Amino acid sequence: METAKIPSKPLPQATPWSAPFWEAAKRGELKVQRCLDCGKPFFYPRIACPHCFSEDLEWVKLSGRGKIYSFSVVFNYAPSAFADDVPYVVAIVELEEGLRMLTNIVTDKPESLRCEMPVQVIFEPAGEDFVLPKFRPVDEA
Amino acid sequence: MSDLKGKVAIIGVGEVPTGKFPDRPCVESALRSARQAIGDAGIDKDLIDFLIPIGAVYSSAYNSDLVCSRIVEELGLKGVRGNAQVFSGGASCSTSLKTAAGLISAGIARVVLVVHSDKLGTGVSTQEGIDLFALAGISKEWEVPFGQHYSSIAGLVTTRYMFETGTTEEQVAAVVVSNRKWAELNPNAMIRKPTTVEEVLSSKVLSTPLHARESNVLADGGSAFIVTDAERAREWVEKPVYLLGDGSRVTHFCLSQEKDITRFGYREAAREAFGMAGLSTSDIDVAEVYDSYPVFEMIALEEMGFMERGESGAWFLEGRTWPGGELPVTTNGGMLSQGHTGAGGGMALLVEAVRQLKGQAGERQVQGARFAVLTSTGGAYVDAHVEILGTEVP
Ligand SMILES: [Zn+2]
Repeated sequence: METAKIPSKPLPQATPWSAPFWEAAKRGELKVQRCLDCGKPFFYPRIACPHCFSEDLEWVKLSGRGKIYSFSVVFNYAPSAFADDVPYVVAIVELEEGLRMLTNIVTDKPESLRCEMPVQVIFEPAGEDFVLPKFRPVDEA
Repeated sequence: MSDLKGKVAIIGVGEVPTGKFPDRPCVESALRSARQAIGDAGIDKDLIDFLIPIGAVYSSAYNSDLVCSRIVEELGLKGVRGNAQVFSGGASCSTSLKTAAGLISAGIARVVLVVHSDKLGTGVSTQEGIDLFALAGISKEWEVPFGQHYSSIAGLVTTRYMFETGTTEEQVAAVVVSNRKWAELNPNAMIRKPTTVEEVLSSKVLSTPLHARESNVLADGGSAFIVTDAERAREWVEKPVYLLGDGSRVTHFCLSQEKDITRFGYREAAREAFGMAGLSTSDIDVAEVYDSYPVFEMIALEEMGFMERGESGAWFLEGRTWPGGELPVTTNGGMLSQGHTGAGGGMALLVEAVRQLKGQAGERQVQGARFAVLTSTGGAYVDAHVEILGTEVP
């Protein structure tokens, strides 16, 4: 790999309707929208419920507990902005409430990760304007 | 949908060698492929009345030329009534075939030329290619900020697939070996050097459990095909390759939102396609299965019903998919050997299916092939397409 200057990390390209998600993350809360018509929570934020198309939505706080649906430890040929981070863990976490999100697992022991392993949300700053929800294995908490 | 069975046919295909060709302009790959396809069909170029240029990703400036009819003018096509880009990444072969079939069935077009070229091997550096694909079709809000890219996508899918099916690392690596066996016989393939499971597994790890040799290699390339209605096809060419079955599903945009990353939509797509064709997997002589990474080739084969779930690994390892095997799979070598030219990876598989059915596959010809299945998928495996092609209408 070349030792060119590492570009800065790509920050979330947020939308007006996702702002409450990112605001909540700054306060250390994992929040998603829930439909007031069909009652279903969903991730990621939408302009309308992806199940019944209702625009009548509320924000609810999640427990932050979940389990690893799948994971991959990145060692080589990461995107330029992440070249200094390897090895880092990309994972899909399934939250207790049944929703899935892509995230990073923060761990000192990536070799010990397994599918279905319980994890708990943590929050890490990204730049000055964002805080990203990431996860840590429950037994390392 | 099912009244489309046998109504349109592919009458010509073209392809330039895939690899690193810094001195071959991208447009040359498109033009030479198109000329070959027109020559293969043996028709007057001015009979083409609709052109579908598939999107190229190495350069948006080049792509805007395609959108604005550059290929029509460069080839001097005089009878074109419409030039419209179809682009759904690796699935563009299937979506352009569907589009062409629709245009022809509706009477909007008679002879449709689909052409693709890209220059991902030499038009961008290795790191630029990685960075380009780290943004292409990956959510800039929900996945890119976490370092998601195509190796990690393949890693996530492979991890869960191995967890659920008990498939081994050796079996995953065997897909590369199987595809390479075919590439050894393909003069247009980029990588033709024989390989082994041990060699694949000793290459460096990109993103667990994915090894470097289990990753496609970005390349320069071009390909083309021509579609017309079945009546004209029978009049013009000796062996029309009919579209017999077509099925597909779009399942997600973000990988994290796919409900089952070990299956995707292939089962439903295959049910539609095989149902429309009135054929079953045992009728298929050759399977051209999209393979940008091994796991996707395994999942598509199993979900289509060629073997039980979790059994494809043994098939690849035992040589049942190799030249001379009972189920020839991805006979051009796939993106793992022929090279990945963006949307061209799927296009190359379509071209290969047609060559096999027309008896034009040279050393890797599957003797007497009558029916082929083609799969494709684009972006972060957002869709699953299954097409059945054949030289007769059953
Ligand atoms: Zn709803």
